[in-house]
Amino acid sequence: MMATFKNMLAMIELELRRLGHDRTEIYSRAVQPILWIVIYGNVMSSIRAIPTSGIPYIDFITPGVIIQSTTFISIFYGLTIVWERDSGILKKLLVAPVSRYSIVVGRAMASGVRAIFQALIILPVAVIVGVRFLPNPMYLILAFVVIFFASGGFAAASILVASFMKTRERFMGIGQAITMPLFFASNALYPVQLMPPILREFSIVNPLSYVVDAVRGLLITGNFSNLLGDLIAIAVFDMVMFILASISFRRIIE
Amino acid sequence: MDFAVQAKNLVKVYNGKVKALDGVDLTVEASGTFALLGPNGAGKTTLMRILTTQLKPSTGEAYVFGLNVTRDGGKVRKLVSYVPQEMSVWTDISGYENLLIYAKIFGIPRLEREKMIDEALDIMGLNNVKGELVRTYSGGMVRRLEIACAMLVKPKIMFLDEPTIGLDPGARKIVWEKLNLFKKEYGVTIFFNTHYMDEADLYADDIAIIDQGKVVARGTSEELKHSVGGEIISFTLENFQSESWLLEEIRRLKLVRGVFMENKDLNILVDDAESSLPCITDFLKSKALSVNRISITKPTLDDVFLKYTGGRLEEKGRISDVRQVRYMIRRG
Ligand SMILES: Nc1ncnc2c1ncn2[C@@H]1O[C@H](COP(=O)(O)OP(=O)(O)OP(=O)(O)O)[C@@H](O)[C@H]1O
Ligand SMILES: [Mg+2]
Repeated sequence: MMATFKNMLAMIELELRRLGHDRTEIYSRAVQPILWIVIYGNVMSSIRAIPTSGIPYIDFITPGVIIQSTTFISIFYGLTIVWERDSGILKKLLVAPVSRYSIVVGRAMASGVRAIFQALIILPVAVIVGVRFLPNPMYLILAFVVIFFASGGFAAASILVASFMKTRERFMGIGQAITMPLFFASNALYPVQLMPPILREFSIVNPLSYVVDAVRGLLITGNFSNLLGDLIAIAVFDMVMFILASISFRRIIE
Repeated sequence: MDFAVQAKNLVKVYNGKVKALDGVDLTVEASGTFALLGPNGAGKTTLMRILTTQLKPSTGEAYVFGLNVTRDGGKVRKLVSYVPQEMSVWTDISGYENLLIYAKIFGIPRLEREKMIDEALDIMGLNNVKGELVRTYSGGMVRRLEIACAMLVKPKIMFLDEPTIGLDPGARKIVWEKLNLFKKEYGVTIFFNTHYMDEADLYADDIAIIDQGKVVARGTSEELKHSVGGEIISFTLENFQSESWLLEEIRRLKLVRGVFMENKDLNILVDDAESSLPCITDFLKSKALSVNRISITKPTLDDVFLKYTGGRLEEKGRISDVRQVRYMIRRG
């Protein structure tokens, strides 16, 4: 347990150090979500086509867009573990005196570092274009904790998917193919009530919806009625993904 | 005293099809340098990955210092360190940072960390570039950094998979100088894979030749070469007419195993050229024959490989070499 935690800290430190040397990837990946907020958000806000119970539409989608971009980052990050299979890094980690479970969890949680940086870049831009956040730093911190842990779960999910892939080329597109449906079939862009029934049911099992709901409550609406449920859902999602990813890890090694 | 490595009838079949190991029996003594020499696809990496607990053998058993690699994997991992064939450092952080992260992953206590990293950098001669991004390192420096990482845990045995693949002769030499320095300091056992004959020849105390998943020959470099046949000393003599009585007399000398003429050169087959030479030259002098030139031909490990498999190691190795170098370049 302690070793797993230490290993996780080492992996997180690795990501911080990498970002210390080169942040261009984070910046370039921030362009798309910023466009979503600045252009799409503004346009849709002004035509008021989507009812968002009193808050401006641009405020409504900002948490959704942030979560979609951090999710994409962590899913992509999980896939890079297969790149590490082609290189020798994974092999070397396997021979280190740490458990395989802790390698998987450590790698997955380290994606949270990138996710947080991504959110930190988008946030000020949203403030500039007029999105009003709740002025409570505790809520902001809690929102980041939620993003951090959710990223770990998504990264583990993508390790799971990657373990079925044989070549690197094949899952470059997979990242997109996973995130986009998750994004559109969630409450990120519109309230769940507006969705056709099938999508509405899907959004119940869509982990992204819970993350968006929690972060939206914490940052924008101040509506915490579902918060506890959201946190439990994210915790369960994380646990399940960590376990499945650890099991599937064997396949990555061979 | 346990063997450093012991394999008993190891078989590994990948995906029910590819038989990478076909009944390997092997023992390796502790605290020497051992080479597993074999061509591309022989099963070297597979064997090493089983010994380092990454893969499970299909059948058979393997032990590292008496610990079963399948059952006591956790304990084995505390004793070994490993440098894979492919690049295994992060290129987008510095050399020092790589060591720091690995030290933390290996669970080296905070108080010892800096000292051990310094030591590793020192022995591997990387102190002056430790702050630079690994991306800017040469192939030889990357390899030395990887070995430095493997040194951090002070292993009892170090597994190196093709430690000098793709390096130029100068860089190869430095890598081995540093490795021997480390070995002398810590008395660690080194187990390395290679398909460079000269590398096994120069640096290994003990060699096993592997081909198609089987160990085909075993011994020190000298033993292996002797097993092929003796060494040939050829003399170019002044005004020499070969006369059968003379050849017969040479043949009767002790240490001489055979005599034959080739292009007017007198060829003498012996077990060991250096120790038989004085006696032979004395004899030639006593017959008032003056020698213009002496050359010695010794069998190489390639001849050993040829004898045991019927194919040449060098030819088999060359294609894989090109492939590997490309691979390293692409990764870097
Ligand atoms: N993960 C794998 N899945 C399927 N087959 C494999 C796998 N790894 C190796 N093989 C096959 O097993 C055989 C032995 O491979 P191995 O990598 O052990 O050889 P090697 O001696 O290390 O060769 P090289 O000089 O290329 O490194 C080869 O035929 C190879 O194609
Ligand atoms: Mg190999």
